[in-house]
Amino acid sequence: MTQGLTRQQLGVTEAMIATYGATIFRLSHNHQIRRGDPIRMKDFAAIQRHRGELGMSDGEIAAAIGLNERQVVFIRNLEERRRFRTGHYHRLNKLGGGKRYRSERMTPFQDHFRYGADALALRAALAFEPDQARRYVEAGYWTGDTLRSWLAKHATERPDAPAVISPERTVSYGELKTGVERLAAGLHDLGVRPGDVVAVQLPNTHEYVESFLAIAWLGAVMTTLYMPYREAEFQTQLGHSRAKAVIALAEAGDFKPAATLMALKDKLPALAHVIAIGAAPAGATSYAEVAACGTPLPEDLPVPVAADPFLLLYTSGTTASPKAAPLNYHTMLSNAQAGVPEHVIDADSVILSAAPFGHLFALYAIKLAMCAGAATLLLPIFAPPAFAALIESHKPTHLFAGPAHIAACLGAGLLDKHDMGSVKLSVTSGAAVPPDLVRAYEPKLPNGRVCQLWGMTELQAGMYTRPDDPVERVATSAGRPSLGTEVRIADEHGNALPLGEEGELQVRGPSVFPGYFDNPEASAATFTGDGWFRSGDLATQAADGHVTLTGRLKDVINRGGVKYSPQEVEVLVDGHPSVMQSAIAPIPDPRLGERACCYAVLRPGAALTLDELCDYLTAQGIAKHKLPEKLELRDELPLTATRKVIKSRLAPSA
Amino acid sequence: MSSDNAEAAKAELFAYAKKRGALAVGVADLAAIERIAPAGHRPSDIMPRVKSVISVGVGGQTQGTWQVPAKAMAYFGSTETRAYACAYGMAFFIENRFGAPSIYCPPDMDNEAGPRVPLQSLKLHAELAGIGARSLAGDILLHPEFGYMYFASVFTELELPPDEPMADNPCPAPSCVDMFRKVGQTPCQKFCPVQCLSGDIDADGNQAEMHYDMAACAEMSQQYESVPALLAEALGAEDQAAREDALFDPDHKMLWYKMSVGSGGLLAQCFECMRVCPIATRSPASDPIRRRQPS
Repeated sequence: MTQGLTRQQLGVTEAMIATYGATIFRLSHNHQIRRGDPIRMKDFAAIQRHRGELGMSDGEIAAAIGLNERQVVFIRNLEERRRFRTGHYHRLNKLGGGKRYRSERMTPFQDHFRYGADALALRAALAFEPDQARRYVEAGYWTGDTLRSWLAKHATERPDAPAVISPERTVSYGELKTGVERLAAGLHDLGVRPGDVVAVQLPNTHEYVESFLAIAWLGAVMTTLYMPYREAEFQTQLGHSRAKAVIALAEAGDFKPAATLMALKDKLPALAHVIAIGAAPAGATSYAEVAACGTPLPEDLPVPVAADPFLLLYTSGTTASPKAAPLNYHTMLSNAQAGVPEHVIDADSVILSAAPFGHLFALYAIKLAMCAGAATLLLPIFAPPAFAALIESHKPTHLFAGPAHIAACLGAGLLDKHDMGSVKLSVTSGAAVPPDLVRAYEPKLPNGRVCQLWGMTELQAGMYTRPDDPVERVATSAGRPSLGTEVRIADEHGNALPLGEEGELQVRGPSVFPGYFDNPEASAATFTGDGWFRSGDLATQAADGHVTLTGRLKDVINRGGVKYSPQEVEVLVDGHPSVMQSAIAPIPDPRLGERACCYAVLRPGAALTLDELCDYLTAQGIAKHKLPEKLELRDELPLTATRKVIKSRLAPSA
Repeated sequence: MSSDNAEAAKAELFAYAKKRGALAVGVADLAAIERIAPAGHRPSDIMPRVKSVISVGVGGQTQGTWQVPAKAMAYFGSTETRAYACAYGMAFFIENRFGAPSIYCPPDMDNEAGPRVPLQSLKLHAELAGIGARSLAGDILLHPEFGYMYFASVFTELELPPDEPMADNPCPAPSCVDMFRKVGQTPCQKFCPVQCLSGDIDADGNQAEMHYDMAACAEMSQQYESVPALLAEALGAEDQAAREDALFDPDHKMLWYKMSVGSGGLLAQCFECMRVCPIATRSPASDPIRRRQPS
């Protein structure tokens, strides 16, 4: 409506607008050209001559082109509405205070970074319970820290301090930051953007640490591929995570990971780049070239913040239903920050992980080092002699190892042959730690203590023993909750049980993930109605807060209605001199429902019968109903990548 | 009124204006305004018996203001209301003192033409009154002594002798000419956030051409389209979340805020061309601190 009249009353049509709109816009005040200074000079002839350039009034335009003034007013206003872009005032937000506009620094708003659909889907998975989030922020557990901020801080404050140590070289924090920035920029050059998933399958090398931090620096998300993974696992995990790039070795023994991944690209539409360390196969990109990128990251790229996801780690789950835990800095770094003083780590610490970096336990060790500004000592692939020799030569103060790693070193007598005097704390986790292992290991550390840690991919370090706990407590307990973590032992209905009673270990706290990515069914089954994470572990809690794991919830044998966890029996079987590894699983029984079958791998040259085993267990004081009723001797047991026995694949021979 | 009386009245009015805070006052040549301004926007269109047009100029913002971030300056960079108050008082003063009907000239927009067409051009009045000259910065008026001012006008039936426009145009300043010779742009042209300015300087260092893309400038500084545009965006949104984003996101709520507090044209004032202008910021009396110092 113009001057009270509608478009119909004015006789303005789209044809008229199309015909005269551009002319009216051009003749109007919207574009003005002044030649010389005619008004100040009162040069009326020049003013009249250039009136069209100076910007005409609507009446003047109407007279010039043969429309009436109302039509011109209507069309000019409509042209302004259609032509003018809105939102330009945002440009002012970064100006002033000494900053001036420079066209070369200006990115049009429509060209600013935007998260991809896959990245947004992953971010959407980080849906925490609001009241708990508020509590964690108010309590100071969730802060603004990110791996990028930690690395930048150490590189600024202690640029020459050692960050990553390998037998070949020591990389300082300053050098590490430079390398990380370059690799992050190289990944960006390839097309990796904040929120994109990048998979990594590498041994514990400098490149792993650099990749982890560069992915985080860029704001992307790392998913880890365990070293034993091959085509089937690649396809499942890369497909589910929608990984955009993968960093892998060109050659790993006889296996060629990069070439294998290249061959899978057609089946993985999201996978754009395979980055190879070593001689890159055809179509793959050289890690060295990516890491040498000289182009800095664009300024408009969002700097990662603590609420952003930076890890997408896969737990178990079937091919049809992968369970991937999206983890952000709030959860992971708050937990690491709490762990630093508890594990007595400081800037002078040197941390060695025998566990592969593909596991959260080992990534926890990196985060502890990054939090404290400590050094990470690298052992690319665990082998007991190399591990023990590295401890003696490079004198780590902290070890992160699974019980199998320690058992192997103990079994080979390596801890007696090498100087372990540098070790202040050895953290063991990853599987149930046999009490005798702790008892045997502790004396091997003349200046250190053993720490037992219980964690899961979904929550990192949930509980651990403290350095001042008595050795018997360390041997028999998974520790007390980490700072901010709450635990309860619950019955099958979710009711908290009294101290000492066995039930499911349930956890709540600032490090607990919010739910699985793209798997609502698994997420729903994993949390109780009141927000507790169901660990699936059976446990008891003592009056001093220590929790002892007694088995897995689903790993229960129901013998004629009498249920028990076979874990305590397995620990005893593992202690038999003839047994190297064992697992007890149920077998169907027409009368009792289930009976226990013991699957065992014997030491070379050893022999064992069921009767001998039962006699041994009886002598250990085990209840009669828990004695295995069948013994299956195997050359090896099916293991997960984390070297846990896959009981679902155990079945007695016919 | 005799010419002597007219000169005396003029001096009295100028003294009044300066007492009320004006830095500069002048009387424009009414006949010239009537000849240059388009029909419907001439003083006689507002006040048929007008005899004189008085233009007053007040100083721009404080010296400290030039240092603040642009988003803060958008709120307090303008001092136009001080000019309006001065002119409003002068209209009363003329009627009381001289018995001549007078008006404070409305600085507002013409209802019939939309929000970008003023009833009167205060800039034209001031230029012809000799208190400012058109700059390369989109014809913003500059004064060699007072720099960058805000203007208001008084129309009166009191006949006053007109002043002449300024003999010289201070724009471009010598430093701007040097920069133009080196990089092809003056500071105002180079640092405009929407690059709405361009032009040419002749061999004598005078303005040869001034190009002003007012549409681009308006997209930044007069976002009258923003409010209806976001309503249209909300109406056409694909889903409820997008609809609510269109109406309630912080940017858009700022528009509601600015409208609700009645800030009118202050949807987003932009002062970047003046921030880098040596005349606006460093003329002898453009700086309130230096104005207070004895010369």
